[in-house]
Amino acid sequence: MTNISSDVIRGYNDTMILYLLLNGPSYGYEISKQIKALSGEKYIIKETTLYSAFTRMEKNGYIESFQDASEIGKKRTYYRITDTGRTYYREKCDEWQLTKEVVEVFIHKKPDLPGTMTDA
Amino acid sequence: METIKNYLETMFSTLPNTYEVQKAKKELAQMMEDKYTELINDGKTDNEAVGIVISEFGNLDELAEDLGIKDLVVKEPVLNSRKVTMDEAKNFIANRIRYGLYIGLGVFLCINCFVCFILGDALHFKTDALGIAFMFLSLAVAVGLFVFSGITLSKWDFLKNTDCSLDFATTNYVSDQKENYRGIHALFITVGVILCITSVVPAAIFDELTHRDTAFGGIMLFVMVGAGVLLFICTSYRNGAYDILLNLNRRGTMGANFVNGQQEDRYSNETVATIMAFYWPTITCLYLIWSFLTFSWWKTWIIWPVAAIISGVIKKVWGEK
Repeated sequence: MTNISSDVIRGYNDTMILYLLLNGPSYGYEISKQIKALSGEKYIIKETTLYSAFTRMEKNGYIESFQDASEIGKKRTYYRITDTGRTYYREKCDEWQLTKEVVEVFIHKKPDLPGTMTDA
Repeated sequence: METIKNYLETMFSTLPNTYEVQKAKKELAQMMEDKYTELINDGKTDNEAVGIVISEFGNLDELAEDLGIKDLVVKEPVLNSRKVTMDEAKNFIANRIRYGLYIGLGVFLCINCFVCFILGDALHFKTDALGIAFMFLSLAVAVGLFVFSGITLSKWDFLKNTDCSLDFATTNYVSDQKENYRGIHALFITVGVILCITSVVPAAIFDELTHRDTAFGGIMLFVMVGAGVLLFICTSYRNGAYDILLNLNRRGTMGANFVNGQQEDRYSNETVATIMAFYWPTITCLYLIWSFLTFSWWKTWIIWPVAAIISGVIKKVWGEK
């Protein structure tokens, strides 16, 4: 089975998190659960990866954190997206479109093996 | 959940004790707990849930840059320090208890080496030969105990001379042991102090009753002081063993959070916290003022046990773990 290379997806963790925060504030586990569900369980984000993304984006001003009580009354850190974050999210979407177009050119559509295509 | 907590503690134990690291640990603990709770609610067994949470945790290296510890990891070879195993820690504590007793007994013999002289004198023996013989015998045995204990304990010098550290499980174990021993330690010290202070009482009573100098009062004085000192030494050796082990974890790393004294007492109430910051200095001042004004030192000491009880109650009511 093919696994997602963490090197490739790393650049888009931020995009996924920001996408989920567009719908309203959320917290660590909720976000990791949604990423898992929306990706059809093909991508499971590690806790350390998620936390690293949170701190980096908060430093860059894309998201803000705040404390709030959870359903069961325990204090929890929630994150919300900022306007800078929204702009950054749109930039990342455009960037991905471009990236996809470029990489797509070099991906075989047909189930041919590389090297089997010959010039006539 | 306990396993997950231990896992996280171990992962963080060598990291510096900074705001960023503490925040990261708290956040990660929160996420892991949320995930664990949901897995359990979904009907997973404890083992399965722990397995999933730990396998999906990731790697702390990823956080190195965010936590500002990247340089530190390279500069300070924390991981190269010699790990003290659980067995070694247990052995060390057992050794300290045994040889602490031997050293205590040695000191006891030194303090009491004149006892036979006094006894011989009191019983009007013709010669001091027995007294002299006993004195030298006592001293010889005492020196023997000192040398033997010193040499045996010296095998643990590496704890001081080399860079050692404890893993989380051992730190936890030692910390628990120390906590359990706290009451007995306090008791030994208290009894020791009482023995030393009251050592003059038998002599005073004998003198009062018989209206002449008796040897028994003097003998009792030496024996009681000796016993008091013996208690001090025994308990200090044991308690010292816990402190030496707990202090191996570098000051400033998360693992050092276990050492008492490095972590300040916390209180849930702001006012209580302020009062407690001045508590012991205030008690000391009160004790000295009261004692010097009245010169009733035999009365004023009561301030200490009372203050200790009050402090204990305050910690119980407003203290935060």
